[in-house]
Amino acid sequence: MEAYFYSRLLSKTGGNKRMSSSKFQWLSSIIFLYLVNQAHGQSRGVPHDLNCITHNLKVWDCSWEALPTINHGTYEICVINSSYPCIRTEKTHFEIPALTFADHEIKINSIHVSGNSVIKFILNERNVSLVPATLQDFNLTADFSTSTLYLKWNDNGSVFPSHSSVIWEIIVQYKEKMEVATVATLNTTLIGKDSVHHWNWTSDIPLECTPHYVKIRYYIDELHFFGQKEWSEWSPLRNISGPPVKENYEVFPRDKVVPVGSNMTFCCVVGEPVLSAQFGKESYSFIRLDRRSVAIKINNITVSPSSGTNVVFTTKSNLYGTVVFAGYPPDIPRKLNCETRDLKEITCSWNAGRPTGFFGPRGTNYILYERFSGRNVTYGRAEEHMNAIHQLIFQMITGQEIYNFTLEANNPLGRSEAVILVNITQRVCPHTPSKLIAKDINSTAIFLYWHLSGNFANINLLCEIEINATYSGQELRNITVRGLETSSYHVYMDKLMPYTMYTFRVRCSSENFWKWSKWSNEKHYLTTEGIPSKGPDIWREWRADGKSVIIYWKPLSLNEANGKILSYNVSYWSEEKTRYLSEIPDSQHKAEIKLDKNDDSDYIISVVAKNSAGSSPPSKITSMEIPNEDIKVEQIVGIGNGILFHWNYDPNMTCDYVIKWCNSTRSEPCLTDWKKFPANSTGALVEYDNFRSGTRYNFFLYGCKNQKYQLLRSILGYTEELAPSVAPNFTVEDTSSDSILVKWEDIPVEDLRGFLRGYLFYFEKGEKGTSKIQGLESGRSDVKVKNITDITQKTLRIVDLQGKTGYHLLLQAYTGGGIGPGKSMYVVTKENSEGLIIAILIPVAVAIFVGVVTSILCYRKREWIKETFYPDIPNPENSKALQFHKSICEGSSTLKTLEMNPCTPNNVEVVETRSVAPKIEEDTEIKSPVTDGPEEGSDAEPENHVVVSYCPPIIEEEIANAGGEEAGSSSQVIYIDIQSMYQPQAKPEEELENHLVGGAGYKPQMHLPVTSTIENIITADDLEKTAGYRPQTNVNAWNLDSPDSPRSIDSNSEIASFGSPCSINSRQFLIPPKDEESPKSSNGGWSFTNFFQNKPND
Amino acid sequence: MEVGSSQRSLKPASDFLSVFQPVVPCLLSLLLEPFTLGVPLSLADPINQAYNLALYMQKNTSVLLQTYLQYQGSPFSDTGFSAPELQLSSLPPAAVPFMLWRGLGDGERLIQTRGAFSALAQHLQLVNDDQADLNPGSSVLLSQLAAARLWAQGLMGNMASVMTVLGVSIPPEVDALGPAPFGASAFERKCRGYVVTREYGHWTDRAVRDMALLKAKYVA
Repeated sequence: MEAYFYSRLLSKTGGNKRMSSSKFQWLSSIIFLYLVNQAHGQSRGVPHDLNCITHNLKVWDCSWEALPTINHGTYEICVINSSYPCIRTEKTHFEIPALTFADHEIKINSIHVSGNSVIKFILNERNVSLVPATLQDFNLTADFSTSTLYLKWNDNGSVFPSHSSVIWEIIVQYKEKMEVATVATLNTTLIGKDSVHHWNWTSDIPLECTPHYVKIRYYIDELHFFGQKEWSEWSPLRNISGPPVKENYEVFPRDKVVPVGSNMTFCCVVGEPVLSAQFGKESYSFIRLDRRSVAIKINNITVSPSSGTNVVFTTKSNLYGTVVFAGYPPDIPRKLNCETRDLKEITCSWNAGRPTGFFGPRGTNYILYERFSGRNVTYGRAEEHMNAIHQLIFQMITGQEIYNFTLEANNPLGRSEAVILVNITQRVCPHTPSKLIAKDINSTAIFLYWHLSGNFANINLLCEIEINATYSGQELRNITVRGLETSSYHVYMDKLMPYTMYTFRVRCSSENFWKWSKWSNEKHYLTTEGIPSKGPDIWREWRADGKSVIIYWKPLSLNEANGKILSYNVSYWSEEKTRYLSEIPDSQHKAEIKLDKNDDSDYIISVVAKNSAGSSPPSKITSMEIPNEDIKVEQIVGIGNGILFHWNYDPNMTCDYVIKWCNSTRSEPCLTDWKKFPANSTGALVEYDNFRSGTRYNFFLYGCKNQKYQLLRSILGYTEELAPSVAPNFTVEDTSSDSILVKWEDIPVEDLRGFLRGYLFYFEKGEKGTSKIQGLESGRSDVKVKNITDITQKTLRIVDLQGKTGYHLLLQAYTGGGIGPGKSMYVVTKENSEGLIIAILIPVAVAIFVGVVTSILCYRKREWIKETFYPDIPNPENSKALQFHKSICEGSSTLKTLEMNPCTPNNVEVVETRSVAPKIEEDTEIKSPVTDGPEEGSDAEPENHVVVSYCPPIIEEEIANAGGEEAGSSSQVIYIDIQSMYQPQAKPEEELENHLVGGAGYKPQMHLPVTSTIENIITADDLEKTAGYRPQTNVNAWNLDSPDSPRSIDSNSEIASFGSPCSINSRQFLIPPKDEESPKSSNGGWSFTNFFQNKPND
Repeated sequence: MEVGSSQRSLKPASDFLSVFQPVVPCLLSLLLEPFTLGVPLSLADPINQAYNLALYMQKNTSVLLQTYLQYQGSPFSDTGFSAPELQLSSLPPAAVPFMLWRGLGDGERLIQTRGAFSALAQHLQLVNDDQADLNPGSSVLLSQLAAARLWAQGLMGNMASVMTVLGVSIPPEVDALGPAPFGASAFERKCRGYVVTREYGHWTDRAVRDMALLKAKYVA
């Protein structure tokens, strides 16, 4: 008991600040109670630990602890110094009305068989706890479709003082494990009477999935109660269970419609184990709610297809599922517009905006509500259009012009609305006008009728009429008509052209323009004829004989004729008489009047055009002209499509100016066309479709004074000049040895095609048929040109020519449009006979003179000439110096390379006075380099190297005799296959020498540095550089096989050409194929260098 | 009763027939002849007509099933979806042991098949309504369902003609659906439609074999 009070004291001290102010008083009370207990009770086992609480602040409920020994006794409880009567009870608690704030002494007298004991407690309100009564009666309901729990209870406020704050604490638990789903706290205020409070909570798990439990407690914070305030006890648990599961399974929630992005939990209540769970295409791991229920949680759900997103749980034997529809609440209707077509019904249209993703029964419903009339129209689902303009039709209310429409859109997820306030008379877009009819009034005015459905009696209509005529173009006329109830409208259309096909169409709007209706269909209408508005444009021409005048007129244009012209009436009169011609049909536009130009009387000619509506005003012209002697012919060139004329202003010209023209090549009367210009004009551009470039026209400018015309100017003109189409025809009138006279003719006007500016005359010396003058290269020095700008000149003499020489002539004409083609001619000037004679005689005379002088000189110096040019020559055959030993040639059989020096009498000088010995010594010296050569060559290819020995004719004969013995190894020439037979090159020695040295003159062979075959080749190369001849291929690349080697026989034809012992350089046969024994073939003048110098004959 | 129901189905059928233009004349003759001619003159004609119609229907059953599944979302629209465990108590299954089917008398076999198509026609109407709710924009599916219902009724008529010639009494048509369908959830409706379109195919297969049996027996 001590601890209890102490603890209560401590908790109260800490928990309630309002009591801290009387802390001291508190402490003294406790101490007092403690002392009393010690003194009177405990020592004898009487009641102790008195505890008082209150549920309603009106009654205190006190209880105490008592020893078992006195349990069966009776207690008398008295409040000392109080009017309350003492209470006698056998229980250990008692109730007393709430006492005042002061301390009260409670005396409890325990009466039992062993005796009485009295114990006193000091009781104060501060020792009493306020513990509200447990809330027993509250209402718990559930909306399974929304998984929402609804809690409703009475706060029993009539029991407590008003303005007390109450804190309610509600706990929702679920699953078999009674997990806490949510803890909610509510604050309310007591108002002194019973109040019903509501609380709801939406579970994220469908309520059907698992039972949900709810309990509630509360705490009353009464400001004026100084005792301890405590929470009430928890109310008893209430649970919500789902409806009985059909067919032993169910998946929840069913057919739920949720916003996109929601988080949802789906559960499957089924008696068998669930194997998998799937949301749409995705598989999810499930959580177990209780024994029969599993769930999956889906976050951020995306928009569903039309038939919803399937949630499927699969067991071993079956699959269970539900469907969720995720979408959006309806968007605010966009572009809401209300207008009327006929002032009978209002059409409101709008765009649905963002798609909701819902279809069918979940789709958006629209209600059009009009606030002033309170009427509404519902948008039926049958009228639904996907992604299109929606519209609703609202019947207009008579007399109401202002409409305040609210369009509400709703679907299972929410609603939205758009508002529009309209004055419907300003939102008129009429139907399309129809039944367009025209009715004529006169030739320039009609009535136009049309039908426009609707009741427009209260407004004016603005209608636009489009008028199209072929020649006058398009015209728009806006008219305002008073609106009618009858729908038939007509307007007066004037200012039309007579006899014109018009196309009308109409569209209308209200006068307070909102929108045009669509254009009506077109109506074509031809206005009636009117009288021609003016007389025809006339002109007259006298015949050349002056016996009659032809009156011309132009047909009236459509807007002048005002109808179909039927005929023309022509009349003419003078002062004396008036005459009429018979009616002239429309197809004819001229008439001839027999008048005599020489007759002095002047006639006025009149032409009138007639149609079915009447006659035109007459057009008049006088028959006579005012003479003008001062007429010059001018020239003019146009500006492409026309010709521009200028004239000076003449105040005397009172009527008009006329320009008439004709093709200059046409016969009289000259009149192709004419044009009239106002009297105040000073120029005119005459354009005419039939003007052709290059055609010359005669133009005549007339001025009009007092209805009489006077020719002012006569002009030749081209709209555009072209180059002449033909060449001027020219002939050569006369030729001499140094001049030619040329004469040409005029080019006809039709061929000239422009004003002639001159001629170009070209002439060139040359053979016939070789002229280049056609190119007209005037810049060429050999082509001379003369530009003849005097177009009257018809002849030209060309001088300073050469006699008996051919000349090409060309003549061209040119105009402002260019140079025309030329005519060419070839002329030979006449011969100059005197010059020819002189040219022959002088050379003959000179030749004779020189011959005579030479003869004389030769005769006188004949001895000197003989000595100088023809000295006596000794016979070399008598010289022993030219006799070679046979062994020299035989020794060549061991040679491996070409050996020529022993056999080549290159340096033979016949000196009759010298002895034999020196000659032999000299031969030895010559031979020595040859003997070196075979040593080098034998190392390489001894078989292929066949030595060709060249011997003087005497030695060669010896070799031929010994040929049977040493055929294989001797240096004899082997004759091989020869494909082409060469003629023997038996040239005279002089000629060979010339070939040998080329342009360098004769060079003796002993001066050549011939030491080896290679050196020979090098030498040959050097010779090629010095001599005129060059081999056609690289000499170094040639095979140095002997031309007569067996290999050469087997080789191809090209190589075979070397088969004969010929020069590898010149391919000249060393020994002719025929006439082998001919002494010419072994000409002692032959040299190895001929290999490289002789040009091949082939 | 049959005539009336066929007239009611004419309008949706005309929409569908426009899709299958080339077969219209043939199909119309197949459908209308039993109703206009009354009792056929011979047994071959009604058997051939019923056989040909069943054969034609058989060509379209898989298309109907695939079209139906395509509009129901996953897992129905997944490739190879099959849920044989789903059944409808109001719809007799077509599966039957072969020997049992073979041992049935002609009359009994026709009664079973005709009864099944009677139930199918009612269910197809139900499925059509369900899909008009779930997939209002799927005109292709809706027209195919309507056509399938028309064909089912046509086959019933053809079979009735055969039964009449064979002297088999035609049992009265029963209400296969009852009041149950109205409270079905969307998922149940999808499953129901799946079972109906699937069983429609199975029963059509069976009808082809039924009629082939009769054809071999009476026509050949």
